[in-house]
Formats: sequence, structure tokens, C-alpha cells
Amino acid sequence: MSGFVSDLKLGGKVGNGAFGEVFKGEDPAHGQVAVKVLKREVFHDDTTWPDFKASYLAEAKNLAKANHRNVVQLHHVVEASDGNSVMICMAFCPGGSLQRAFDGGPMVLSAVRKVGTEVLMGLGAMHARGMIHRDLKPANILLNAKAEAQISDFGLVTDSLIMGYASQAGYADHVAYEVWNGKGASAKSDIWALGMTLYRLLHGKVWYEASPAPRNVVKNGGFAGALTWLPHVTKPWRTALRKMLNDDDTARCQNATQALKVLASLPTTPAWEPSVTADLVTWKQTKGMRRIVVEWKRHSRRHHEWSAWSEPLGKGQNRRLAGSGGVVSGGAAIKGLEGFFA
Amino acid sequence: MSRWLGLSASKETVVVVDAEIPDDDGPIIIWSDDTWKVQKGDRAAAYNVLHQQCTDYIKETGIDAVVVKASAVAGRGSATLGLLLSAEVRGVVIAAAASQCLVKTLSKAVISKSYGDRKVDEYVGDDDFWADKTAGGELRKLSRETAMLLISARNA
Repeated sequence: MSGFVSDLKLGGKVGNGAFGEVFKGEDPAHGQVAVKVLKREVFHDDTTWPDFKASYLAEAKNLAKANHRNVVQLHHVVEASDGNSVMICMAFCPGGSLQRAFDGGPMVLSAVRKVGTEVLMGLGAMHARGMIHRDLKPANILLNAKAEAQISDFGLVTDSLIMGYASQAGYADHVAYEVWNGKGASAKSDIWALGMTLYRLLHGKVWYEASPAPRNVVKNGGFAGALTWLPHVTKPWRTALRKMLNDDDTARCQNATQALKVLASLPTTPAWEPSVTADLVTWKQTKGMRRIVVEWKRHSRRHHEWSAWSEPLGKGQNRRLAGSGGVVSGGAAIKGLEGFFA
Repeated sequence: MSRWLGLSASKETVVVVDAEIPDDDGPIIIWSDDTWKVQKGDRAAAYNVLHQQCTDYIKETGIDAVVVKASAVAGRGSATLGLLLSAEVRGVVIAAAASQCLVKTLSKAVISKSYGDRKVDEYVGDDDFWADKTAGGELRKLSRETAMLLISARNA
């Protein structure tokens, strides 16, 4: 049959995904949609492009059959008549991606656990269907109209893309130790990538980028033990994320169900709202009619100072709660803050 | 042959035994024996997660029927908070399971009356009974009471 014309209307560009641009669209059947257009890139030669395209189309068609509240619903896939691009029509997520949240600073504990739980629900279902994501990161987690996390681009990246030319595009921060060392991606490397994602969301961009980039150090081993933590991230959280980020994939959470169990035990109170800049970290929370504020000033690499106080929401006076009592070393400040938050 | 799920709820966990039930009298085949945790913190959010976890599991693994350990009153004293919270958790998994497949609730007292000639606790402690009635994956001792729901229900 021929002669059928799609009434899908393309709107403005909303972002860039893996190997393609994403546009807003209006579809007669689904209403507002997102349309990803994947074009043949310069690194796709005549040998790799047909294989890439075939694998991409197969995965996309597979994904279109899948349906889960925590996976972005793919509606349909169309290949252009010239064979040089593929168009994917999927559900539009008005909340955008978590990349924006990551760029904005650390998220509160309860929000991070909610994201982790929802993503694990989606991962668990897709893993049960034999699909692996391979490229889980804040930019690939979108928020729908109900602010539920939905995984996008499921299974659309292959092992060779991750370890080859795509590593230059910034995907490699979420590649697990065993994948760097030639083992290939698996459900367990997706769990690693989620651990990395949750670590990033807990700390925000400024803190994350102050440490060596994972793409340069994960392959050497011992990454989870070398992570630096914001002081309000307590021991159970650190243990949980280290378990997800273990180099040894047999010692890691083995599947989404195990990881869900680990997240279920994590405390989400007190509800500190952290904020991080290069020289100042603050935490705030409201308790009854008072606001508790903690400030950590990082004057220089060696000179730090912190203090905590409560202030009334209405009339009244500030009350000092704790502090370093002047300038101290970075180690002493962190120790004092960890003691305060414990 | 069909695939059944046994569920026993407490205030903080749900013991989950997934087993294949042969058409003949052969042992049930254990596919998995796990525990779902109720999330710490806000109960409403935790129940929402548990509901979704239960629904997803049944849907993704193709479970045909679910047997849930029914609520029971412990002694003659008034209900404790722990007992009430357990009943809430039980309600969540019953509702989630019922959205996907047939659900039956069975109490320990009913099993004791209707299955075999011994009480449930006696069967639970009898290693030979479990060696005879189950095959496949490992079954934890703490999950025997949940698996008993499946063994009893197949004979009902």
C-alpha cells in the first residue's frame, strides 16, 4: 500500500539526544509528542551505518511494544526514504530531563530516592524483557506531567557506541568498571550507571565537577571508595551507592529488585535543602516555626569555616547551634559537619 | 502447569514466593523466594511503590494466581499498631495483585483445618516435608509458611 501521509506536525527543537535532535510535535492520535530525528553522522561509514540503523530500528520497534509507566512510551518509528535518517515519535515529557536538576545543584534526599525507585521500576521491567539501557544518566531521565521519572532512549545505544566514538560525546562517565575492562554491558552495568546518576543528583554539578571525571578514573578500579561526599549524605546512603558502584559486579546489587530493597531502607529525613557554589555550601530546613541554617565557607583549599544556627520565621532571635569556632582545615570542617548531620 | 505467587505481609516487609504449580501431584517448582521492603518514611508514598512493585512483578513474570496470607487476630488483646500496619500492607498487595490476576486469601487456621492432618507450624518445621513438596530454587526457612499457602491452595 502507498499514498498514506502522516499528519504529524513538527514544532521547535527541544534538545539533543544520542546521535540526533529532538523536536516537539503534534500527532493526531497522541497529541503532544517528542520527535527524535537520527541522522547519519560523519563517523558512520558505509559499513557501520546500515548495521547501526538496523540495530537501532530493531531496538526501537521492540521498545514501541513495551509499555511501562517509568519508561518513555515510544509510539512509532519511521525510516526516511533516502535511508539516511530515522524518526522516532514518543511521548512528550513536559518536566524535561534531570540534567537540568543536576545542573541546578544537589537534590534533596527524598527526591533522589524517588527518582531512584522509579527508574529501578522501569529498569526492572525492561531487564525482565531482555533489554539493557547502556547509557543511563540524568539527561536520559525525563519527568512526565505527574513528575514521575521516565527512562528515555532505552536500548538505543550499543556496546560499540559506548566504548568507541561515543565516548568522546560524554557518555563515558556512566560506564562501569567491567565494561571499561572488556566485559560488555549488562543489567548490572545499568545498576552501576544508576548509582552514578544518583550520586550526581545528590551532589549537583559544582560538587561533581570538583573531583576527577569518572571517565578518567573508573577503569583503574576503586572508584566507589574514592568518592567525596557532601557531609549531610549519611552512612546508609554512602553504603548503598558504594554497593551500586562496586567494581566487582558480583558484589554489586545484582538486579533492580535488590537495588530497590537497598533504596527502601534509606532515611530521607531530616529534609535538608543543600546548595553548593565554589566557595560556599549551605543547607536549610524548616522545623516548626524556625529555620535551621548551616553554612560551610571554603575560603581556600586549606582554610574552612562552618557554623549552624536557627532563625525564627517570624519575630525572635537567632540561636547558634554549632560551628567550627573559626578557620579550620578542610578535614576538620568536614568532620565537624558530618558529626553535626549524623 | 501454572505460575503462582504466595505473599505474606508484615508491617515492613512482604515475603514473596514465586512457584510453578504442576498439573500433577509433583512438587511445586520454586522460581524465586524474595522479600520486598516497605520504604522507610512516608507510608502513602511507600504503599504506592509497593503497589507498583507488586503489579509489575505479576505482569512481567506472567503470574496466573496469587495466594495471600489472610489477616488474623493474635490472641484476645486489642490490635497493636504493628498489626494494623501489617493489615495495611496486606491490603496494598491484595489490591495490586487483584488488578492483574485471581487472588485468594488463606489464613493459617484454615490451612491447618483443611490441609493434611497436622498444623501449619508442624509442617513448617519438617525438613522432609519440604524436600518432598518443593523442587527448583532454594526456599528460605522463613518463607516456608508463605510457600505453604501455595501447597494448600493447589489442594483446595
